[in-house]
Amino acid sequence: MNYINKKIDGLNPELLHQILDKYSKQSKIVKWDLGASSSRDISVQVQHGKAKQLKGSQRNSMTLRVWNNNKVGITSTSDLTIEGIKKAMQGAIEASFFGNEKDSPDFSSLAKAPLKEIKSNTSHEHGIDELLILLTDAEKKLIETHKSIDSVPYNGLNESYMERIYINSDGANRYMKLSQASIYLYAKAQEENRKPRSAGGIKINTNLEKLDIDSCINETSNKLISHLNYKSIETKKYLICFTPDAFLQLISAFSSMFNARSIIDGVSLMNEDSIGQQVAVKNLNINDEGLHPKNIGAFSFDGEGTPTQDIKLIKSGVLTNLIHSEATARQFGVKPTGHAGLGAKVSVSPDWLVVGKCKNNLDKDHNLTIKNTLKEYILIDELSALHSGVKASQGSFSLPFDGWIVNDGKRTSIDAATVAGDILKILNSIIKIEDEQIVTHQGISPHIWVEDVSITGEA
Amino acid sequence: MTNSLLTKQSENLVFHTFDETLKPQIEELLSLGKSAGADIVEIFLEKSDNLSLLAEQDDISNVSPSFGIGAGIRVFLGTKDGFVSTNDLSKPGLLFALSQALGMLGLVIGSKNKSNFDGLNFLTDYGKDKNNWLETSPDLNESTIKLLESTSLLSKKNNNLQVRRASYSRNWQEVIVAASDGVFARDIRLHQTVGINVIAINKKNRSTSARRYGSSGNPNDLRNWNIDQSVTELNESAQRMLHAEYVEAGQMPVVLANKFGGVIFHEACGHLLETTQLERGTSPFHDKVNKQIAHKSVSAVDEGLSNYAFGSLSMDDEGMEPQDTLLIEDGILKTFISDRAGQLRTGHQRTGSGRRQNFSFAAASRMRNTYIKQGMFSPDHLIESIDNGLYCKSMGGGSVGPTGQFNFSVEEGYLIRNGKLDKPVKGATLIGEAKEILPRISMCANDLDLAAGFCGSVSGSVNVTVGQPHIKVDSITVGGR
Repeated sequence: MNYINKKIDGLNPELLHQILDKYSKQSKIVKWDLGASSSRDISVQVQHGKAKQLKGSQRNSMTLRVWNNNKVGITSTSDLTIEGIKKAMQGAIEASFFGNEKDSPDFSSLAKAPLKEIKSNTSHEHGIDELLILLTDAEKKLIETHKSIDSVPYNGLNESYMERIYINSDGANRYMKLSQASIYLYAKAQEENRKPRSAGGIKINTNLEKLDIDSCINETSNKLISHLNYKSIETKKYLICFTPDAFLQLISAFSSMFNARSIIDGVSLMNEDSIGQQVAVKNLNINDEGLHPKNIGAFSFDGEGTPTQDIKLIKSGVLTNLIHSEATARQFGVKPTGHAGLGAKVSVSPDWLVVGKCKNNLDKDHNLTIKNTLKEYILIDELSALHSGVKASQGSFSLPFDGWIVNDGKRTSIDAATVAGDILKILNSIIKIEDEQIVTHQGISPHIWVEDVSITGEA
Repeated sequence: MTNSLLTKQSENLVFHTFDETLKPQIEELLSLGKSAGADIVEIFLEKSDNLSLLAEQDDISNVSPSFGIGAGIRVFLGTKDGFVSTNDLSKPGLLFALSQALGMLGLVIGSKNKSNFDGLNFLTDYGKDKNNWLETSPDLNESTIKLLESTSLLSKKNNNLQVRRASYSRNWQEVIVAASDGVFARDIRLHQTVGINVIAINKKNRSTSARRYGSSGNPNDLRNWNIDQSVTELNESAQRMLHAEYVEAGQMPVVLANKFGGVIFHEACGHLLETTQLERGTSPFHDKVNKQIAHKSVSAVDEGLSNYAFGSLSMDDEGMEPQDTLLIEDGILKTFISDRAGQLRTGHQRTGSGRRQNFSFAAASRMRNTYIKQGMFSPDHLIESIDNGLYCKSMGGGSVGPTGQFNFSVEEGYLIRNGKLDKPVKGATLIGEAKEILPRISMCANDLDLAAGFCGSVSGSVNVTVGQPHIKVDSITVGGR
């Protein structure tokens, strides 16, 4: 078969395997693996009832790794033509001369293990007009919910389809596809002689039919209306309640605590002896559950072909497990956990954090509840600037936030403020973990109460 | 017509050489778009060849080459636009993308036969003297030697550095921009960055410190890197911050150092002067042209012309040459930063600022090299004018909210006591609102300098330069403990 200047027809693992076999043999490479993905999506943005921007894309990418005298080289490309694949093979071989023998990845021992089946929900594709009508309607409804809401400056409705494969020269062959639909609405409101206020919401589901647009509208509207009446607060230490979204944002920003790669690299708060240590209050559990049914967009395998797994990270406040790639697992003497990317130095990252409560241990202050607490506290709804305000290797953070000061159950929006602290101190100062676990677009968590947290206000 | 890039039959890649020979094929596509009823059709073709390296301690731990191809096709009808991107540069692939973009606006190829396309201009080739840039950039061997030299020198400077990292990235891009208004231009871009960062440890104290340097259009940049100077500066910063205490929160005057201190202006003001913000109705400055928005000591520009600066370009991603755009003069707002869509939707003239990360984004009005002009004071003069305040020597990242609230972190800070620098402090975050802070920039020093950075926004992550001289802000909220 003449492959020259031919296009590969889709993400076809068998065909890719054939092509790579051919070129690896020509290059005297006997060991290789490849991860590839392909996506196509359409999205719309609207403004004042009219289309603002309509977008579509078809994208491919692949990363090829080769082992050359025990050194690994990689190359990534978006060019999935035969010429592109040949060039990628040459690039990977060249890169392999600079591979790090001391910390070289290998095939995952689980790359051919059975996968837990995820129901592949791919819906039929919709036209751009259908998306446009839905989003225009959502914008209108949101603006009509309150007289002070004047616009929805940031918005979008998106529908996408993704395919992903992992294959290697040892016969591993992974393939999965899924679809996703998402909406975000970020609205602005202004009252006379007051500052403009803004708030947003996001919803994700497997397809457009299941996407809960109305709840996105209501959530955004309710949040924005609650921020219209705002005031500055004093700088001091407060009782804090993190909403599920905010707590997950904070834990995710410090996920290097659970990350074996970060620990080996010396950039984590934890070290190789930290497993088994008490790092949080005794009633806190944190799991990583990539296969949770509410995790829209879950893939059943990671970048190295390892099956996605549920891992207990913190159990009863004790650091129990880490997330691993093949290389880090080998170094720790455990199995890979399905959290790897694909590279010469493989990255590791969490999938879907689930925060919960250990029933055997009591809260320090069991009376606190988001619904009934009357004493003063700060409700932190959303953290900002996580990329710059978090020192993950030191454990410290100083972050602007959106939220409310709550007195006698009455919420007043906070004009501008930052919250600062140390993650380990926060985890050990939790005085209440509420029972109800709430599903968000980034994981699951209940409301979490923490005492004596530093807040800087402008009053 | 195909229904998907991935399901269609094999096709020859037609758009593999970016030069004048593409003209007839691009003209055919543009003509089809115009005849379908589009006001403007624009095609952006891209090839990229990138390299990133990481050295950790005394080893090269990651070598990641990558290359790619792609196209973005944008169609305007009135003030609406449809944009489609694809990796498929075959003729059918681009035809399919064009038909999708037209379809988004209700237009169909062949339905109107309203061809009023006069053809493309002669190719303006900004890349003709840059064809050797990729070959003359440092190769893998030379790059790895440089990185290892820096991590080795860090270890010689100090033995309490638990982590020593150096990274290098080289991004090469060849582009063609063609539009139905006749624009036909080619360019080659070369961006290089070097980053070094350390974690210092002394008993229970830890500090992290990082520096990044970047250039545009200079193949010799890595070769000319002054490693000793960079490593010395980074190490000294890490050692000083090792024993820093947390800053006490409150309102106070601050002096922001030059170079990356300019991120405050970038975040607090620059974004609000982009026409993308005007389009959304979120800029507080939308009606302030020729009005005082800042202290009279503040003049600021956004330009794409400074030699080797990270945000410089020969043409923007819409084929227009960049300009030296005066944004603020003596505190008075003069101009907005505008692109093609911005001009269509807001009336502000294009400034050569239509930028995108790559083919998968539609261009948007974005900053290039943005800085406050220097003033007349010495940096010491600014510090001496403060009894109790904060000196922000090195800034971390920052962001701006949709209505102008900004924040950014201070990587290396010092208290100012009685007009002199005092002990180092950590954990500070500066927060405020653009409208309120600009009138409080009361003094600008005479030491303007620039720093490279990346800016993420609607059209992806683009290379920019931020900059300023030392400036004094009379009062700002400092978040801390």
